Amino acid sequence: MYLYDFIVLNKELLKPIYGLLVGIICGIIVLRTDKLFHLSLHQGIRYFRNAFFFYGIAFIIRYLSGALTFYEYINPDYNFIINIIFEFFLIMAGFFLIYSLIWKKLESPKENNRSSLFNIRILVFYILTLIIVILDYIWDVYYFLFASQIILFFFATIISYKNFSEDVKKHTFPKFYFIAMFLSFIVWILNALAGLFFEWSNIVLINIYSINVLIFLIFLYGVVKVTNFNG
Amino acid sequence: MAKKRERLEVIKDILISIRDNRKIKPTRLLYSSNLSPQMFKEYINELIRKSFIKLDIDDKEKKTFSLTKKGQEFLQEYKVIENFVENFGL
Repeated sequence: MYLYDFIVLNKELLKPIYGLLVGIICGIIVLRTDKLFHLSLHQGIRYFRNAFFFYGIAFIIRYLSGALTFYEYINPDYNFIINIIFEFFLIMAGFFLIYSLIWKKLESPKENNRSSLFNIRILVFYILTLIIVILDYIWDVYYFLFASQIILFFFATIISYKNFSEDVKKHTFPKFYFIAMFLSFIVWILNALAGLFFEWSNIVLINIYSINVLIFLIFLYGVVKVTNFNG
Repeated sequence: MAKKRERLEVIKDILISIRDNRKIKPTRLLYSSNLSPQMFKEYINELIRKSFIKLDIDDKEKKTFSLTKKGQEFLQEYKVIENFVENFGL
């Protein structure tokens, strides 16, 4: 329990480090995939890149601003704005991630969306995200966020398992992708349980944060390994 | 029955045909691409739009395709791109 005690005692210091760590991991993934996208103009790579761009923004805003609030650089009365922005970017990132897996079934390769951030299909995600964020804000809860992410990662887990089991070339990463998606699904269930039954217990939250870092590290490993591939 | 080629693979095959010939006539490229004329037209328009290839017309109105710098870079990194798309199920 030593480690837990240490983390709980220093949680306000560790939170921005956590946010920064996830932000840096996302930044590396975005830079690597952005290069591949500009070379290939592949829409799937584009949406995958967007997902981590949004995750990076969400985590950096949430945890760095949390530290600024704790050290009284930001008025705590404005915390709700930070929470809304965080939730918005987090949900959008999840939508981009699952869309990167299914875009082929919904878009024609001939389609030429100049912007992957502002087009008709992505507009649907923005609208859904805004509805979820507004509902959570009105009732002052996170239930709609949790429900949306549990549903989203349930389907992402199924799709990634299908990709893994149908991978005839036996690539290394589909197995890890499936593990990352399954862990994300579990993390969102844990998040909901932590809020509903454990009154945001520190021990449950520490485990959630640890699994979150592991998930982002799995993606970083995959991106670095695959983009360093030389045939 | 042969497996249907993935889109990225078709693009790679077209670009390799152009690169190997330096300049290639549209009809010859159509034969080497193994695509229907309609599909060929769609791919070529896409490759021109994305600046992977360019269409050159000489004084005698003779048309040829050649590879751009971006097209050459795509071929160099093709294995990485293909590997990325397959590994991440994109």
